[in-house]
Amino acid sequence: MTAATLPSVSTMPPASGELTESGLDEESREWLRGLHAEGSAREDAIARLHGLLVRAASFEVARRRPSLPHLRGNDLDDIAHQAADDALVSVLRRLDDYRGDSRFTTWVYKFALLEAAVKLRTRSWQGREVPLEPESWTVFSSTGLEPDEELEQAELLARLQRAVADILTPHQRTVLVALALNGVPIDVLAERLGTTRGALYKALHDARRKLRSHLEEE
Amino acid sequence: MERPDLTDALGRLLGPAEPEIGCDECFELLDRYVELELAGADADAAVPGLRAHLSGCPACREEHESLRALVGGEPPA
Repeated sequence: MTAATLPSVSTMPPASGELTESGLDEESREWLRGLHAEGSAREDAIARLHGLLVRAASFEVARRRPSLPHLRGNDLDDIAHQAADDALVSVLRRLDDYRGDSRFTTWVYKFALLEAAVKLRTRSWQGREVPLEPESWTVFSSTGLEPDEELEQAELLARLQRAVADILTPHQRTVLVALALNGVPIDVLAERLGTTRGALYKALHDARRKLRSHLEEE
Repeated sequence: MERPDLTDALGRLLGPAEPEIGCDECFELLDRYVELELAGADADAAVPGLRAHLSGCPACREEHESLRALVGGEPPA
């Protein structure tokens, strides 16, 4: 792919402070030099970076492909390229956040994997209702448990069910039920509720902590 | 349809008992954590709270597995 076909990004180098290059491997230094250069040198580096991101996003798509039988090859290619485009924008916007805690390629891969994973999870739930009410308090399998263990766990589940109804806020209840009980992916729920993954996990974490301390106090 | 496992369900409802970081911090630290893991270093000691988060967050767990596989040179599937 040439720079001319890349998503629109500024060709101006980021307003960077001094690069902290000490301790970086040569390849990571080379990436930073290219991306902080000007003109065609930077455009070349961006084109190579985009190629790297396409590779990472395609890797994620290939890993998830068996669980997405309804998506065709073209759809999956489109998702990989859209993910790489979005990751490129994020990487260039956050270039100054790279502190050299890992190789540069490892740092950028995670952006492409995140974008691809979010897009795949969102696509797999497209058009589906997101269940926010408990669907399955009583339908669990207890294969492999001894009878006394099964009874103990069933009692714990019943106590949890009461605690969810009694002590959680409505928002905590919605988040816990959707994510932990109904298996809604966190990105999908974040999109439906108009919030962020981080904020939802915080609500889930608070709900779980409340439940654990309630069970200990009972 | 296969019924969900009771033990797994309890684990998902109660989450990890240990202190954990959140999704945003997990994303910030994931590249360092994976490289330490692949180098055989004690990633959990160097990045406390990340392992617990992975056990409580399926989305971050998937992304950790993918980054580890990609950087570790595993085939995609």
